[in-house]
Amino acid sequence: MNRFLSDIVRIWQLRWAFRLALIYLFLFLLLVILLPWLPLSFQPNDLDLGQAFQPPFQWANVTSATPLHWLGTDALGRDVLSNTLFGARTAVLISLPVMLATTVIGLVLGTAAGFYADSSGKISRASFSGILLSVPVFLYFGMYVPSQAFLLKLPPAVLLLSMGIAILAPFILMKVLVPALKRATFFTKQVPFPADQVVLRLIEVFTSIPRLVIILVLASFMPPSVVLLSFILVLTYWTDTARLTRAETLRVKQLPYFEAAVSAGASTGGLLMRHALPNILAPVIVSFIFGLAGLLALESTLSFLGIGVPAELVSWGRTIAGIRANTSAWWLVVFPGGFLALTVLALQTCSYYILNAMQHHSP
Amino acid sequence: MPGYLFKRLVLVLPMLWLIASLFFLLSRLLPQGLGAGNILKGDEQYSKGSKESRERSYRQYLHKTQQDLPLFYFSIHARAEPDTLYRVYPESERLHLRRLAWKYGNWPLVSAYYSGVKQAHTLAAQQDQLQPHFEALHTSTVAPAILAAASSIAEADQENAFQTAILLRNAKRMVEHRQDYLGLLPTLSWNGSKNQYHNWLTEVLQGNFGTSYRDHRAVPAILAEAIGNTFWLLILSMAISVVLAFELSILMVRQKGRKWRRLFLPVLFLTDSIPTFVLALLLLVLLASPAFLQLFPVYGMGYYSPAGLPWHESLARQVQFMALPVLCLTLANLPYLTNQVYRSLATTGNEDYTRTARAKGLSETRIIRKHMLRNAWLPIITLLSDFLPALVAGALIIETIFAIPGVGRLLLTAVQARDYPVMMGIVVIVALFKMLSHLVADALYSLADPRIRYTSS
Repeated sequence: MNRFLSDIVRIWQLRWAFRLALIYLFLFLLLVILLPWLPLSFQPNDLDLGQAFQPPFQWANVTSATPLHWLGTDALGRDVLSNTLFGARTAVLISLPVMLATTVIGLVLGTAAGFYADSSGKISRASFSGILLSVPVFLYFGMYVPSQAFLLKLPPAVLLLSMGIAILAPFILMKVLVPALKRATFFTKQVPFPADQVVLRLIEVFTSIPRLVIILVLASFMPPSVVLLSFILVLTYWTDTARLTRAETLRVKQLPYFEAAVSAGASTGGLLMRHALPNILAPVIVSFIFGLAGLLALESTLSFLGIGVPAELVSWGRTIAGIRANTSAWWLVVFPGGFLALTVLALQTCSYYILNAMQHHSP
Repeated sequence: MPGYLFKRLVLVLPMLWLIASLFFLLSRLLPQGLGAGNILKGDEQYSKGSKESRERSYRQYLHKTQQDLPLFYFSIHARAEPDTLYRVYPESERLHLRRLAWKYGNWPLVSAYYSGVKQAHTLAAQQDQLQPHFEALHTSTVAPAILAAASSIAEADQENAFQTAILLRNAKRMVEHRQDYLGLLPTLSWNGSKNQYHNWLTEVLQGNFGTSYRDHRAVPAILAEAIGNTFWLLILSMAISVVLAFELSILMVRQKGRKWRRLFLPVLFLTDSIPTFVLALLLLVLLASPAFLQLFPVYGMGYYSPAGLPWHESLARQVQFMALPVLCLTLANLPYLTNQVYRSLATTGNEDYTRTARAKGLSETRIIRKHMLRNAWLPIITLLSDFLPALVAGALIIETIFAIPGVGRLLLTAVQARDYPVMMGIVVIVALFKMLSHLVADALYSLADPRIRYTSS
């Protein structure tokens, strides 16, 4: 991890492109945070049908009564400048949480798969049955009942109660039922727990269809909403991180220091948190940056296609989609598309240089 | 080798079954299908008389699409909720009933109360002063509000004293015997083989893949029409990008290739950061719009070509329409492909056999083409087998933008119309395509590298 930081400092000193990209990203983040307080003349959803398809930079039309549409307007007279700026905000607000959730899920599943890859993970039949029972209980009380309570607007007590059961019941099952079962000899027998196989099969199922197709299909099952779309994105994006983390864990597991830690009797938690995690974090961070760039582009693509996002959501894709009504309105593509491409470029530049620096270390 | 391939081929089937089943179950879990949505539309526009006929047509719709059957072999639901609620129409009424059921947790009493409300309401339909109370009964789930409304109806409506008294009694019983949280417990019920999934699976096994919700044509026929266009788009752009990627990589890997590297690598890096749809739209604006250069026709595949043209002329027309889409897809995928091929080639440059070939005094072209390229193939085959299915996503965007009637556009319109049978067909085809391309890659491995042997064990 320390080497990772010193790498970044070194690239910062050596590469002007990396410096430029980081500064750009910092300014971009600042813009996203401060945007609601900026004095813009137009809100992104302000309609002005009298000013539809205004080209950009029309200095001549400026009067004191009507402020200038710097970057023109779209078919409904919405200001392209404010749509471009707020589109950046939407893209970040969707992509960043999704990528964080994705990375956490991918890290957990990937390290578990990599760590138990040689079926070293053993589990007693009692614990196995406990887990097998806990999963449906959790799904029912933790997912089904809350979703219904939300849909039917039931009192919050119901929600709290079912969430409470969802957390308590598996706990009781594991702490009471499992020890009770262990009195029988049948249940004390150890069976290999195929964590690696389970994760690999899951990855295989999720990657058996191109990501965009899965997302389109899943989005058609649900009403358009940002939260549901984010959920779908997390569901389809975790496989990359999981695969990377699994490979990295396998690599770290064979390093001498790790084997030394194992033979010194370190606990599983200690092995994972203290020895494995710091060593696999750097590639995960690179894939985080890279994935973020992909998500920004994907979010815009989806909103361009009009899938999974509500029509009133301000986004780059929505503004760009306006070109289909009028192919000569180039400013609808160039400004939001350019902003999007620039941001993706900055992110890719960062991950490129960091990856390069890391590859120089590894033999 | 044939044994190994056969085994892989057999393994494809369970995967396809899993994907199709998941798709089917997920699509049916969603309560509002396309047809139901159309029937339910405009609840308020019609008079009360046609309400019954719409209710009847809703039931017929459920029967026709088999949605009056349970979804799977077994079902799990909350104890409070009966599993026949989907028959209630309209949607708002069903939602209200579900709310009551979850809240009071005792379905027989809730059902008795609600049928009392409906009966009393039909009898008292003409009495305007009672309508607000009935309105309250139809929307409120709060106990005091229900009791208050029921008792004021019982007091005011003397004509139907019997009905309103029953209503009041039922309301009181429901409120008194409420089981607050018992209804949350799950119940499991066994449905046997009379369920939607079973029927669907038997149909599919008999070779009946369903019909489109939109135009009632068979899904395979619709797919067969669309697949040709996508196929040409994919194959053409794939071929062009592979050839270009190799030629560019060969240029860059040469010892004098430094200037090419300095030119191409940043350009490709830059192109890579432009999302496909933005790239396609930029090209569209630049090359096919009246504002700039109008070199290419914008949309479609040029159907309105006069019949009886000689083949080369009709081909020329096709090429006009295909040129821009193929160019877009090629440009969108070239950076990644070139980067991978270049790396793969560059690593073979340090190998012993390359040095030997140099030492023998072979020309550089010959070294690259005969010695390095052959060894660089292996990782590239893996790459291509992953890459071809991934192109489908790019094709989807390109087809949408250029209005090419291919699979991608079909998927998009099917998604927009929630046309599940068509979507299912496309998903299965795409998954099959991906699996087959992996299979072909495995077969090609052993051609590219004779050391690789597969055994069927």
